[in-house]
Amino acid sequence: MMAWAAMVLTFLALAVGGYAVAVADRLIAGACGWPHQGNAWLAPLARGAWLYRQDANVTEAPDRPAWRLAPALYLALAALGLALVPWSPTLVVADLATGVVLWGSLEALATVAIFLHGWSANAPLALIGGYRYVALGLSYILVSMFVLIGVVLPAESLKFSQVVAAQEELWNVVRQPLGLPLFLIVGLGLTFWGPLNLADSTDLAGGTASEVSGPPRLVWEIARVAMLVAFSGIAATAFLGGWLGPWLPGPLWLALKMLAVLLALAWLGRVLPRLAPERCVTLMWVVLLPLSFVDLIWAGLEAL
Amino acid sequence: MQTSLFADAIFWVLAALAVFSGWRVFRTDSMVRASFFLLASFIAVGAIMLLLAAVYLGLAMLFMMAVEMMVMALFMVMFMMNPAGLNPMVMVHQHRLSIVAGGLAFAVLGALALFVEFPDRPLPAGLDPVASLGREMLGDSMLVFESAGIVLLATMIGVVVMSSHRGRFGAADQGSLPPGLEPGGVPAGPQPDAEGSGGHHHHCH
Amino acid sequence: MAVSWLGRLAARAPVPVYPLLGIGGERALYPLALAGRVTRVDSPRHASVLLVAGHVPVHHHEALKRVHDQLPRPFATLWFRSQPLPGLENARRVDDPATLTDELVALHRELQTGQRGSSPRLLPDEPPNPWEGLGDDGHGGEGMMGGTPYGRPMAMNMQDDIRDGLTLDSLTFRLGPFYPLLPPGLAAEITLQGDVIQSWTNQSPAYPRALDAVFQTARERPVAIAELELARARHHLRHLYRALRLAGLEGLGLKALRLARELTPASHLDGLRRQLTRAGFFRLAALDGGALDAETARRLGGPAARAAGIDTDRRSDDAHYRRLGFRPALGRGGDTRARWHQKLAEIEQSLALAGRAVDEGDLTTVGPGGLETPCGPWRERPAQDAGGCLEALLPGMEWDSALATIASLDLAEGSASPPPGEAHAEEPQ
Repeated sequence: MMAWAAMVLTFLALAVGGYAVAVADRLIAGACGWPHQGNAWLAPLARGAWLYRQDANVTEAPDRPAWRLAPALYLALAALGLALVPWSPTLVVADLATGVVLWGSLEALATVAIFLHGWSANAPLALIGGYRYVALGLSYILVSMFVLIGVVLPAESLKFSQVVAAQEELWNVVRQPLGLPLFLIVGLGLTFWGPLNLADSTDLAGGTASEVSGPPRLVWEIARVAMLVAFSGIAATAFLGGWLGPWLPGPLWLALKMLAVLLALAWLGRVLPRLAPERCVTLMWVVLLPLSFVDLIWAGLEAL
Repeated sequence: MQTSLFADAIFWVLAALAVFSGWRVFRTDSMVRASFFLLASFIAVGAIMLLLAAVYLGLAMLFMMAVEMMVMALFMVMFMMNPAGLNPMVMVHQHRLSIVAGGLAFAVLGALALFVEFPDRPLPAGLDPVASLGREMLGDSMLVFESAGIVLLATMIGVVVMSSHRGRFGAADQGSLPPGLEPGGVPAGPQPDAEGSGGHHHHCH
Repeated sequence: MAVSWLGRLAARAPVPVYPLLGIGGERALYPLALAGRVTRVDSPRHASVLLVAGHVPVHHHEALKRVHDQLPRPFATLWFRSQPLPGLENARRVDDPATLTDELVALHRELQTGQRGSSPRLLPDEPPNPWEGLGDDGHGGEGMMGGTPYGRPMAMNMQDDIRDGLTLDSLTFRLGPFYPLLPPGLAAEITLQGDVIQSWTNQSPAYPRALDAVFQTARERPVAIAELELARARHHLRHLYRALRLAGLEGLGLKALRLARELTPASHLDGLRRQLTRAGFFRLAALDGGALDAETARRLGGPAARAAGIDTDRRSDDAHYRRLGFRPALGRGGDTRARWHQKLAEIEQSLALAGRAVDEGDLTTVGPGGLETPCGPWRERPAQDAGGCLEALLPGMEWDSALATIASLDLAEGSASPPPGEAHAEEPQ
């Protein structure tokens, strides 16, 4: 019974969270100097309706099954990711003994979905976008896994519910001050959002999505915000104490924390320039990876 | 040992998926598709391992194979002289040898499956597979695993450092040269000039 | 019923417009960027309306048709100061920039509510090249492959990588003349390994870009320095907008455009410059590389030359400019980052000059003679190969840095007289 309730809650969070990202992104854009684009609350829905009614185009000799399946696959990965997030000690879809490892596998499989999306269109710019994500994806995954191992240490478990329970006294964001900032930067990369949007970037006229239109593009855009929501769920669980909090019920606390993470990511996406890919590699391997080791050592010493 | 009908059904579906996508690896006409069919096959096997209560190993299969196949596909596309891997090409070669090797392997594995008597040892009730795996890996064999892990990580970092634009002996586009083996001697390693004059072997057609 | 309900909802979406810029089409772009209700997209696949702005020369009609046919149905076309192609008699044409946004929004609404059918296809839907593979799967040649399936030769001609010795499969394709991140008209054949450019061959030069009319006047008689300098600053600010949009800082780019729209001698750049620095434009974006050698910099002239430290500016020859204390601002290095520092410095310099000229009783230029346009010294005949420097400059650069380099150069030779297409377009039809 609880699992069903949690499943409903998860789908609700995907839908509402995705919509919230779209609205927040427009509101932030308006505040950052974009011209008024109509009602920010209606615009995402109207845009969805437009994409739904548009034809799905084809390119010359695409790999059609892979091209159409990649957005759906990416959406499925996002949904799986959010299914790992516990809404309360008992309200969780899948509280696996190896939840953290599954999240790592989802990050790895997302690389495959994004590459396929770019590759199967059979067009040069989309292909470069796919290449780029693969070239950078490994470094994102490494940093994110090291940071998550740091979170797992005090919990002595790979279960996300145990990770939250271990933050009863002190949230990980305080206990491991390097963790959340590192995880958020890497999250921008994993969801290729804002400054780290190198796969679907402007210089590639939309990158992996540059040749897609109509319903497949709608699914891809939904999947992208869904992945952002799933990521914010994991970030809130791992660092911000998940359902923990006074007065309000647990699920509400988690929703608020996820919203805070989403707002932070959307804001970063609008105020920073896109990082040059080469600089991004340097940042990941020379700055963030050593910092994640420091974070891991910190967590280890603290757990002793 | 109790197995539910549901778990049985999932097992058969996954097994069929694993075999089907494994077969498609050889019948498809693109290296990228072949890699990802192989990945699908591995994912199905990983899920079967999850059914067998190997919670950690099954998931490890997922993330290892996802990255591995991704890298494999990318490298094949990059190095295999087929624009973006989208031109069709045949995925099998050395047919006779492959048929013999495949037939032999199938016979041996099939014979094993049919004639070996598998032990019937149900899991003890309170066993936590992840924790016991951790104790196994980080108990007596800690030294081996940890040193292997650190060697692999150092290799990864080393590869990235060596392939980066800002190389060990200066920026790569400015003709970086390693220092000589003796002070003031000729630079170590292959000489760029010699390679430039003998570079015709790159032009096959 | 459900469809009409969805259609009414879709009609209220911000209109995705793919601007296809012909000669002089850029003047449609800036008001459009600042208008609400319209979003500019970079891929024809993402658009609902194709905006053809400015005259498109006949030799690019084939490319125009190909872009047109890439828009997914339902779509419409709007022709701004441009003659619709044969076969598109139903298309709408406007000449007044003020009504542009309303027309785009109206077209989108008519499409979505079914009052207007989609624009027809102009070209047959078939592969540009026939299947010429050997064998069933195109693998009948030597080794595992053979033939040229759909015109794609198997890449057996591996080139050595020019940058780091990691030889990869090379990918050759053509881009332009309407790729929105290149100057309009510029088309090139590009070979990549990974995302490193191996070769860049221009196939058609960028269209000449119309300069502000005041530059034409300045060649004939003295004009107010304030007016001239404000036009110069406006040109650079618009240029900055294009680069910021590419760099993912469209919000700041729009601020630059707003500043350009409301430019007075009392305007100042401090706020924008501070925001640019704070956002990390100079540190994070792909501004490395793209350094011009002295000879190329001298040939290009203008801010590109001064960013490389070459003291060349016709304004130094003008006695009234000297009276205002003008001295060319010079940069160092001549790479993409230096060019943007240079442009910002020159905008500030122009604003300061304009202010001082007003204080001096609206000082004018001395008279006809050498004129410094925003993109370099005035030339009687526009050099046709301003983009030629790309062929030597870009190989070895990554895609992102290469596009940032192109965005930092004024490759479209400025012409003060309205280009031929413009005059043609303004004739009553």
